[in-house]
Amino acid sequence: MIPLDYYLVLSAFMFCVGVLGVVVRRNAIIVFMSIELMLNSVNLSLIAFSSFLGDPTGQMLVFFVMTVAAAEAAVGLAIIIALFRNKQTVNIDEINILKW
Amino acid sequence: MTLLASLELFDIIFYFFAFVTIVSAAVVVFSRNIVHSAFSLMFTFFGVAALYVMLNADFIAVTQVLVYVGGILVLLLFGVMLTTKVISVEMKTGTLQTLPASILVAVLAGTLCGIFWITDWLTPVARNAELPATTSSGIGRALMTTYLLPFEVASVVLLVAMLGAAMIARRERKR
Amino acid sequence: MLEQILLSLGYIRPEVALVFTFLSAIVADLVTQRKAIVAGIVLGGLIATAYYVVEQVGLNVSTFSNMLAVDPFSVFFKCVIIGSSILIVMFSLTSNEVNSSLRRIGEYYALLVAMTTGMFLMVGSSNLLMMYLSLELTSISSYILAGFTKEAPDSAEASLKYVIYGALSSGLMLYGISIIYGLTGALDIYSINQVLAQGGTGKIALLIAGVLAIAGFGYKISAVPFHFWTPDVYQGAPVTITAFLSVASKAAGFAMLMRFLKVTFIDSTVLNVPLGMWATIKGYELTNVIIVLSVLTMTLGNLVAIWQDNMKRLLAYSSIAHAGYMLLGLTVLGNDGFAATMIYFVVYLFMNLGAFYVVMLVANKTGSEDIRDYKGLGSRAPLLAVAMAIFLVSLTGLPPTAGFIGKLYVFAALIRANLIWLAIVGALNSVVSLYYYVRIFRNMFLRDAEERAEPLTFEFSNTFILLVLLVPTIVLGLYFGPLVEFAQYSVAMFGVK
Repeated sequence: MIPLDYYLVLSAFMFCVGVLGVVVRRNAIIVFMSIELMLNSVNLSLIAFSSFLGDPTGQMLVFFVMTVAAAEAAVGLAIIIALFRNKQTVNIDEINILKW
Repeated sequence: MTLLASLELFDIIFYFFAFVTIVSAAVVVFSRNIVHSAFSLMFTFFGVAALYVMLNADFIAVTQVLVYVGGILVLLLFGVMLTTKVISVEMKTGTLQTLPASILVAVLAGTLCGIFWITDWLTPVARNAELPATTSSGIGRALMTTYLLPFEVASVVLLVAMLGAAMIARRERKR
Repeated sequence: MLEQILLSLGYIRPEVALVFTFLSAIVADLVTQRKAIVAGIVLGGLIATAYYVVEQVGLNVSTFSNMLAVDPFSVFFKCVIIGSSILIVMFSLTSNEVNSSLRRIGEYYALLVAMTTGMFLMVGSSNLLMMYLSLELTSISSYILAGFTKEAPDSAEASLKYVIYGALSSGLMLYGISIIYGLTGALDIYSINQVLAQGGTGKIALLIAGVLAIAGFGYKISAVPFHFWTPDVYQGAPVTITAFLSVASKAAGFAMLMRFLKVTFIDSTVLNVPLGMWATIKGYELTNVIIVLSVLTMTLGNLVAIWQDNMKRLLAYSSIAHAGYMLLGLTVLGNDGFAATMIYFVVYLFMNLGAFYVVMLVANKTGSEDIRDYKGLGSRAPLLAVAMAIFLVSLTGLPPTAGFIGKLYVFAALIRANLIWLAIVGALNSVVSLYYYVRIFRNMFLRDAEERAEPLTFEFSNTFILLVLLVPTIVLGLYFGPLVEFAQYSVAMFGVK
């Protein structure tokens, strides 16, 4: 039997990899992929808790997180496409009109 | 010998899928080729879905495959396709400030893992109930009773996203 | 269960009215070519919602299996939000930025209504799942609206930065929520309170979860260090959306944070506290965290605003600073402190929307948002300049304007809670803010316009709305009794299940 901690550690690693992706990568689409990684790690953590607590509430929250993740991905990619049409680049460094 | 004997099939499968998941996640973030990232994201999603099955969440596992792989990943691939310049052959993406950020995130990962190891998770709310073998009927019933309001709000969220995404991504005709 | 659901339906009339308005706006946009009809439907729907909100004064129930609370606290904030929604729709009717994209304007009004719905749900949420969902509804609508003028390059850029920051913050918050769920086994804040009160939950894990959850709340209220999206988004988005974000979205975020703090961490069984103050559950000292957030937010907002030349960016940093003042009210965990923050919100609504409205009108006529183009405004458009001057005086917090009353109650609550040094920090920050507000004032009245300086005229509707914002700014500075009573009444009944 795999103890709860193993699942949580895996989820923490995935979460941190996702955060690293958002902070370090310059391509907007990779940033979105990293955000999806973060949300997946949260889902994994919630399902693990739900299973070990015997409580279905965690699974319900996962259901809604998936919904919102899909909606956010759709809106985010639409914005990226609109931006690309304007500027022909999705590199965050080159998109920098708004300064300090 | 005793170590090998104590490894059940269940554990082996867990280690395999955990390995697949975390390696794919690393490839997504660190790869220089955006198409490689997109496809390894698919492996991550499948790995997580397998872990859900092992945690008794069958409905969620199937939903994960349908929504994430079938929906979000396809959307991301479209995004990759539409925003990569056709002229350049290599699809390189740049990285900056990798070292300090990596150190910070490694510290965060270490902290989180340490805390999870130490914390006594189940004592205050120790429950003896187990999740039912198939969760679909339970989820369905819950969605229509306890979680009715979030269910309706989620439908508004999806409508807003559809409306907004179409509005923003639309190509405007020049008058 | 079914009866409980049917009973709950009667308590969500405002939200139902908003959703119907949203759907009607979409259908109307499909059917008719005249966009004025869509605006009319939206305005009518918002006014009907306002009527339903006023009808809810005095209720105190928990609906839909503890998902949504309808109590005086949420009704107070719903009034603030619906008021700003109606005003923003009226702003948008005459805004050049918005009306330049006539093909999309139906979606603009529909999304405004959707954002309002999300905010209504945010102020009433009493379950972490509902909080997350309503936060995302508001955020997704605002990502889209921020990128509305998509031809303008900084608008699309602002929208992208907004999405990335927003998704990152909500991911962090969600991780915190998952840890809280693992520790307590429940998502609704009443149950979490009970489990925490029993003791024995891992303190360190809860601390980490709290920090992560604060990331989500802090992003919505633009608290430092989660404020990085605010200047760029406020500058790139259309002025009407910026104004809406700065008031309503902040109000909804604050209401959600206040409810989360009060219900989760306050121990209702502790008896030996002074009247009106609350005791936190043993071991969870929140006050210090909020004090740090508040001081950072105030100071950074005020200091960076000094360098800004773009009016929208300047007002963005100014609104960050005001979020800091509101957090000061939160540091006093008691009826006084929370009531002071609520009073501040009403006052802030009028003065901040007023300032943004003037920026919008000037941008309509001159096409510029730069502070240097405000030179000579005193002679070109006297009423506008005087109105702006009054709004700026109120934002600084000088009598006899409403801004003074807001700050007065916050400082009074701090002094009564023996946090006098914090009140002094707040007062010093107000003095710093005087510097950049005076810059605008000086440009308007004491400098002459550089080029041709023809006078600017505005239609009657613009002047009318300006007066609607100006008059309460002055009146509330003198006659504020009913507002204070309403706020104190709303706080007293709050959290009592």
